[in-house]
Formats: sequence, C-alpha cells, structure tokens
Amino acid sequence: MVKWKRIGMDLTFPNVPKYTKDFINDMGQPLNIKIYEPSDDISPQGFLGLGNEFLEHIDNNYNSGFTLHVRRRDKIREPIRVEYIMNDENPTVVDKNIIKVDEDSEVTVIIDYKTISDTKAFHNGITKVYAKENSIVNIIKIQRMNESSFNFDSNVAIVEGRGKVNWISVELGSSISGANYTTFLDGEASEGYLSSIYFGDGNRKMDISYSMIHRGPRSISNIDTKGVLMNEARKVFRGNLDFKKGARRAKGNEEEYVILLDPKVKSDSIPGLFCEEDDVEGNHAASAGQLDKNKLFYLMSRGLSERDAKKLIVEASFRPIIDSIPSDELREEINLEVERRFANV
Amino acid sequence: MSKKLLSIRNLKVNIEDKEILKGLDLNIGHGEIHIIMGPNGGGKSTLAYTLMGHPRYEITDGEIKFEDQLINDLSADKKAKKGIFLSFQYPEEIPGVTVEEFLRTAKSSITGEQQRIIPFRKLLKEKMELLEMKEEYANRYLNLGFSGGEKKKNEILQMSILEPKLAILDETDSGLDVDAIRIVAEGVKRLHNENNSVLVITHYHKLLDYLEPDFVHILLDGKIVKTGGIELAKEIDKKGYENIRQEFANK
Amino acid sequence: MERKKTFIDDIDRGIYDIKNEFTYKYKAEKGLTPDIIIEISKEKNEPQWMTDFRLKSLEIYNSKPMPTWGADLSDLNLDEIITYIRPNADMKTRWEDVPEEIKDTFERLGLPQAERESLAGVGAQYDSEVVYHNIRQELVDQGVIYTDMETALRDYEDVIKEYFMKLVPPTDHKFAALHGAVWSGGSFVYVPEGVNVDIPLQSYFRLNAPGAGQFEHTLIIVEKGAFLHFIEGCSAPKYKVNNLHAGCVELYVKENARLRYSTIENWSKNMYNLNTKRCVVDKNGSIEWVSGSFGSRVSMLYPMSILRGEGAKSEFTGITFASKGQYLDTGTKVVHAAPYTTSTVNSKSISKDGGHAFYRGLLKVAPNAHNCKATISCESLMLDNDSKSDTLPIISLDNDNIDIGHEAKIGRISDEAIFYLMSRGISEEEAKAMIVRGFVEPITKELPLEYAVELNNLINIELEGSIG
Repeated sequence: MVKWKRIGMDLTFPNVPKYTKDFINDMGQPLNIKIYEPSDDISPQGFLGLGNEFLEHIDNNYNSGFTLHVRRRDKIREPIRVEYIMNDENPTVVDKNIIKVDEDSEVTVIIDYKTISDTKAFHNGITKVYAKENSIVNIIKIQRMNESSFNFDSNVAIVEGRGKVNWISVELGSSISGANYTTFLDGEASEGYLSSIYFGDGNRKMDISYSMIHRGPRSISNIDTKGVLMNEARKVFRGNLDFKKGARRAKGNEEEYVILLDPKVKSDSIPGLFCEEDDVEGNHAASAGQLDKNKLFYLMSRGLSERDAKKLIVEASFRPIIDSIPSDELREEINLEVERRFANV
Repeated sequence: MSKKLLSIRNLKVNIEDKEILKGLDLNIGHGEIHIIMGPNGGGKSTLAYTLMGHPRYEITDGEIKFEDQLINDLSADKKAKKGIFLSFQYPEEIPGVTVEEFLRTAKSSITGEQQRIIPFRKLLKEKMELLEMKEEYANRYLNLGFSGGEKKKNEILQMSILEPKLAILDETDSGLDVDAIRIVAEGVKRLHNENNSVLVITHYHKLLDYLEPDFVHILLDGKIVKTGGIELAKEIDKKGYENIRQEFANK
Repeated sequence: MERKKTFIDDIDRGIYDIKNEFTYKYKAEKGLTPDIIIEISKEKNEPQWMTDFRLKSLEIYNSKPMPTWGADLSDLNLDEIITYIRPNADMKTRWEDVPEEIKDTFERLGLPQAERESLAGVGAQYDSEVVYHNIRQELVDQGVIYTDMETALRDYEDVIKEYFMKLVPPTDHKFAALHGAVWSGGSFVYVPEGVNVDIPLQSYFRLNAPGAGQFEHTLIIVEKGAFLHFIEGCSAPKYKVNNLHAGCVELYVKENARLRYSTIENWSKNMYNLNTKRCVVDKNGSIEWVSGSFGSRVSMLYPMSILRGEGAKSEFTGITFASKGQYLDTGTKVVHAAPYTTSTVNSKSISKDGGHAFYRGLLKVAPNAHNCKATISCESLMLDNDSKSDTLPIISLDNDNIDIGHEAKIGRISDEAIFYLMSRGISEEEAKAMIVRGFVEPITKELPLEYAVELNNLINIELEGSIG
C-alpha cells in the first residue's frame, strides 16, 4: 500500500488483467514500432519516478507497452500516435514504453490515455526516452480519464550531447493522478523542455513532479506549467532544477502559474533549486491567485458573462501549450474537454 | 600631431575560436578625435572590448601599444589605470552598489589616492550638473532601473570623473534623443584637449555633428579598409557601405 | 574571466575567538536525568509549576526522535553537552560590577560602548546566565520592562506563566522539548500600550565554556500600538568539542503594534545552532525579522510568523553566508491565518569554500485567510564550485482569493559585471567584493549602523584571500 500525505491518498494496487485492445494507432506509418519486450529495456540510474512501489508494480505486472527504435538520421515527419483506451472490458493499463532515438534523428510520439466508459479505470505506466546525440524527441502525453479513475504515470529521459527532448503534458482527468517527469541532461549542450497544463476540478487530486537534472556542461532546461484549480480540487506541484557538479554554464528555468477559481481548492507548490556548480544560471518563478480582476472586468464590459470571461482567460493561458500539439483533431478534442469542464462554473 | 598615444599593429582577435579582427592597424595621436564606422558584425565592438582587455576576446596576433608600452595582456583594471576608458554600449547593472560609492572607489584606485567623501561628493555634483543629471542618481544603484539614455549619461559621467587619456565610446549615441546626444557630445568635448584623445565607434553619424573628428575609419570584416576625414562619414551616410565593400572586395 | 580555485584557511575571527579561562560556580553533570532537572530548578529557586514544566519537557524530549531531514546531527552528542553552567557572577546592573574576565570579553566585542552610544538597554548573557542587564531610566518610567528571564519569573510570575512556551510548546520538536527542560537565561521585554521605544534594545549572548549548551529564552510582549526594535547578537569562541545552541524566542505583537527583531549570528564554527523563533501578530500589527547567519557549523533556523489578526503583516529579510565546513539550513515560515494579511520574504545566500547554504521556507495560507498577499524572493550566489546552494520553498494554499508570487535565482557573479567594474580601474578582488556587498545591501541597510559595519567586516573577513 502506498500513502501520499500531501494529497491524502491511500492506494492498494489492483490485480492486473490482460489488456486486449490495440493501443498502437497504426496509421500505415512506422514499422519500427513493436510491442514491448524486456530485452529492449533501459534503466536510468537514480530514477525514482513516482516511487519504487509504482515502478516495481509495473515491472511485475505490465500488460501493454511498446518499443520504438528510431535509427540514425531517420527523421520521422508524421507524429506516431499511441492510444491506451480503457473501458469495461479493459479497465486496467499497466504500460511500459521505450523510445530509443539514435544519433541525428527525430521523432514525435503522442500517447493518449482515455476512458470511453464510466468504468473505474486504473493506469500505472512508465515511458522511457533515450535521446542520443543530436536527436530531437517530442513526446506529447494526454491524460483524460474519467472522474472515478486512477492515473499514475512515470516518465524519464536521458539526453545525450546536443540532443533535445520536448515533453508536452496535458493533465485533464482522473480522480487521483500522479505524474512524474524526470529528464537527465547528461550530454554537453543537451536540452530538455517541459510544457504542461493541468486542470483540476471536482474532487480531483493531483501530484505532479518534474525534475531537470543537469549533468552536462551548457545543458539547457525549461519548465513551463499553467494550471487551473476549481471546485474542491487539490494539487501538489514539485518542480526541481538540479545542477550537478560539472554542469558548467548550464541554464535552467522553471515557471508555474496557477489560477484558483474556488475558495475550497488546495494548491501546494514546492519548487526546488539545487546547485553544486557555481557557473550556472537557475531561475524559478511561481504565482498563484485568482484571475486578474481588471481583465475580467474588461471582458465583461464588452458583454461577456463572467463564466465566459473566465473561460476565455483560462483558455488563453492554455493556448500556447495546446497549440503546440501536432494534431488538429487532438487539439480540438482538448479544447472541447476544457470547455466541458467550464460548464459547471 | 605629437607622438602616438595608441598604436595597433596587425591585430587579430578571436572570440571562442572565431576570428573577428583579422589584422587591424590603427594609430591615434595625443589630442586626436577618431571615428570608426562600419556595418554591424564588422568587429567594431570587438575592437573596443579588446582595447579594454575583456577576457573573452583572445588576441592571437599583433600588438597594442599605449604610450609606447605593450598592453596586449593587461587586465581591464590595469588598462584603466593607464588611462583607457570604455563607454559601454550596454552598461552592466550592479544592484546594491551606489553610483557614488562605485565612482569614489574607482577614482581612488586610478589615482592611487583615497578620495575623501566630502570633496568627492562636491566633484560628483558638479560633473552631474554639467550632464544635466539629477543629484539623486548619485545614491541610486549602478545602472539599475536606469533608462537607456540615463545609462549612457552615467557612462559619460564616469568618464568625466576618471579623466582618461583615451576615451573609447562604443555606440554611445545609439538610442539617444537629440538633447541627450548634445549633452553627451559636450561632455566628450570637455574631456578632449591636446593630450586626451577620443575614439568614437558608431554606425551612423549623429554624434559627428557635434564633434570635429580628425580621422574617420571604415571597419569592415575585421580590418580598417579606408581612412579619411569627415567627408568619408558623409559619403557613408549617403551611400551606405556597399560601395566600399565592393571596392574592398575588388582589391 | 579566468576561473581560479579558491582556498581559504579557517579564518581568525579576531575578538570572536578569544577564549576565557573560567571558573564555574555550578556545573551540571553531563547528560540529562530528572534529578539534574530538579537540581537546576532548585538552584534557580523556581516555582513548582516551572519545575514540573521542565520535567514534562524532559519526558517529551526523551520520547521524540531526532529530526531526520535537513542537517546531519549525528556528530551532536547530546549527552555530552553540558546543560547548565552558571558563571561565577551574579546579575549586575552596573557595568563596573561585572567581573573583569566577563567584562573584558564584552568590552572586546564592543558591547558597553554600543550601549553608551546608541542603545536603550543592554543585556548580556555569558554561558547560561545573564550577567548584565541595564535599561534607560526614561523607559522604566514609561513602564517598559527589560530584564533577564530568571528575574522575570520571580517578579512577573503571572505573565510568564501565561506566555511561556505557549507559542513554541515543548511538543513542537525535540529541541523545543530540550529547551523546555533546561532553559536558562535570556531576556524578558514588556512594552506597554502605546509606548514607542525609539532606540533599540540589545541582547548579547556568548557561549564560552567548551562542550556547553546555551538555552536562553527570549519572551517579548509588545502591547497595542507600541513599537520596539530588539537586537540579538550571538558569538562563541571555537573549541574542539561541539557546542549546542537551542534557544527559544517567543514574540507577541498585539493590535497595531510593531516589532522589529534583528539578529546577527556569528557563532563559532563548531556550534550547532538549533534555535526556534516564533511570533504571533494580532490585528494590523507587524513583525519585521532581520536575520544574518554567518557562524555555526550547522544551523537549522526558520523564524515563523503567525498572522492571526486581520491586516497583520510580516516582513523577513535574511542573509546566510555559508563558508568552509558550514551547513546553514535557514529560511522562514509564514502562516496567514486571517484575512487581509500580507507577508514578504527577501532571502539572500552566499556559499563559498565548500559551504552549503540551504533556503527552506514555508508559506501557508489558511482556508479563511482571503485577500492575503505574499511575495517570496530567494537569491543565491555561488562563489566557487566546491560549494552548494539549495532552495526549497513550500507554498501551501487553501483558498483562492489571494495573490502569491515567488521568485528564486541562483548563479555566480557575472563575468560581465566584474569586467565592467574592472574597466573603471577597480581590481578583480575589489570588484567581486563590491558586487557581494551590493548583493547583501538590502540586508545591511536594515541594520543599525554598527551592525551594518560589523556585517560588512564579516563579509570582508570571509572574502579576504578567498577570491581573485
């Protein structure tokens, strides 16, 4: 059993049945994607994800997952889409995904976790990215499971010299959701970026943690998070910039802006800045509060209802991140989802 | 003109292994005003920083002599003590250090004499009045929250306090309105005399309307490719650098 | 800029390192037992309730585990720390009457001079006991009380009973419990309603005996509409054995009152400074903490403001300078427990020569504390890459109608800034020292002049020969 004090969670892992749906969206594209096999695995040193219990549970029980190996100089233009769909027959996804990207290559992968029924679904998974020299890896993760589901998602990337990993995370669903993204910037001039939005409504509890671990000289990282909390939602955000010795001239930035829409929300932020090297630049900024009253007033003076004005401002803050998702259809779906959440404001 | 104050021979300078100055020659005599013009990226600021001794600019060949002494390897503070001054294009902001405290330390260091508070404050006040700077700036943190124009004035204030033999003005006129340019130019004129020389780096010639340069140089692709008088600056103003670039390319 | 390794020897801190040969009137045996506690209490002629309080605290102390977060406390052998040492002097109110050796030490620290020049009152504590206390007559006439805790317990027993360890109960943590059991010395200040103490009161603590603990208790009550500035200075000479400071500060700021509490802490570098400070602020009152942490081997110090009255305010300005062999875990906690409360935190840290500075903070907004505002700013400067610097502010919000901002920055002195100053004839070392002094200027300007000078001297001592 796992206990999370800050968001008040006691979890007992469920039994994991077989997952029988197809999750790789084969749009006639990449052939180098195959079902996960243990021989493909990588195990980054010092990676804890959401915690050992979760990682062990995945190792012992995974029922789905894939391995993608992009060969040297292969630039895959079309995004690869993977969908883990949960319903009454398949309420549990424990997935293990490995993405290896060789030198000078490029790939975009969209991984979508969603429920299509009211079933109480459970997801505990891991996605590991190994970005070799001079490669570009874009990972887009969307979580939109229903209000009674549990979601646990650990993500890790190792980035070699001049490699670049861009994470985009969209957290919209579940009753309890834990998400961890850890990026090891090992190589010289390696880059790690994470843009995320989260939306907490109802009684949702979220524990979000991001770490950028700078080991390589001149490595660059940026964390940019926008969030909204309403109703009685609860969230813990942990964002760490960790400059290890040797990360000379590294630069890291982190920003978290959260908009609070109701008196009963709970918002904890624990930003960490750790530093063992003097020649670095690290910045962190956070803000929390209600919507800017002047903006709200301005919009309402133009005839918008309070609800619509609020929605507009929230959408505007989400917009840059949603717009960076390389799929018209998904962008549209996410916009609709945000819209739907505002229905009860 | 008298003996040379500054003489540069075949100067080659790298930034992070990229050659920017590629064999530059320049002589400045006592009491002369020189203008260096040239398009962006030609090496103008590199020359200024190298003359001041910025550690990022690596001299790979050639020599810089100031009053007949080789100064290639001197650090910035030693060069300042010899009488070289650089007015920065983008002056640094130093929180917590007031203009007055900073300048008193600098003046003490350059003259080798501890500047006493009261007389120094008087001197500072006089110089600030000449530059039409508000007295309160003396107690403000160095360049912090200064507008572009205030920063440039503050550079000229420093110059007038430290009284260098060679003042290098790196794009001091950029971003200034007409009044500010006049004030800056007057400040430069006050410093200039038969011993003190001025090197103005600019890529247009607003400041030239106020100063009477002895020489105008064109710096292109790491070298001085043409030298003339004020008429050269006027020609550039009309025709741009393209003619000179072609002329130079054909050589 | 050429990067050079930096080295620094353990600095001779001059007067701070003067040790005094000393004979003690009373010395408790090492380690803690109820018998010792009873003996201490008896020795001090305390009322029974205080003896009981001490014994209860001892029980709590024995039942609490050592903290497992933050500093490594494994080198701290609590049984070895001598708990109660009373110097061979009774409390004096005339400086001339203080024994020569003690007087000497404080003279060298510039204490009576400070009093003559700019203070409303001075208290001096040497090891466990207050040896000197004085206050200006005009303040006494206005009803201001400034005395040592032992005297206060005798003369104002009811007040002490009402306030003593109510803000920091012994159950708070292990060292609060230890404090409750063995507290000794410290100051009691009472400022009556509407009284404005316009010059600061000062308290000076010095720990002289090797392997000893200092557990002074400071209790300050500022009544409605009153104002006080209280300054606390701490030092100790260096011995081979570890010393412990587990003091406790409880501050009560009543309606519309204002208290400024300044600390310059320069304990020697074998000191474990595990001090607990807490302030509760009523309606429209304000607390201003000014805190400089320079000394000690280990510090875990997080002054806390509880804003329980509407419109209450807290301001924290702190500088931490961690050098060789030091782990300084400092920060501040603010609890917004009422509407319209505001707080600002401005923290700076410098680490060098293998020193480790850790900012740890908490900002908590209670569900009912609507319309509150808070800003936190943390800036850290690393002077070399043998050192460490960490920042971990926890922000915990339980309501939406608030305005919270946080900023943290970490880095080294910019090469461009050094070059700029050098281009004006200033040497590299002086340029760096100037930038560091500028970095801490927001703190120095909050201090009374003689402390600002002391702080700048400390920085110069710390930087000397270490950079360039």
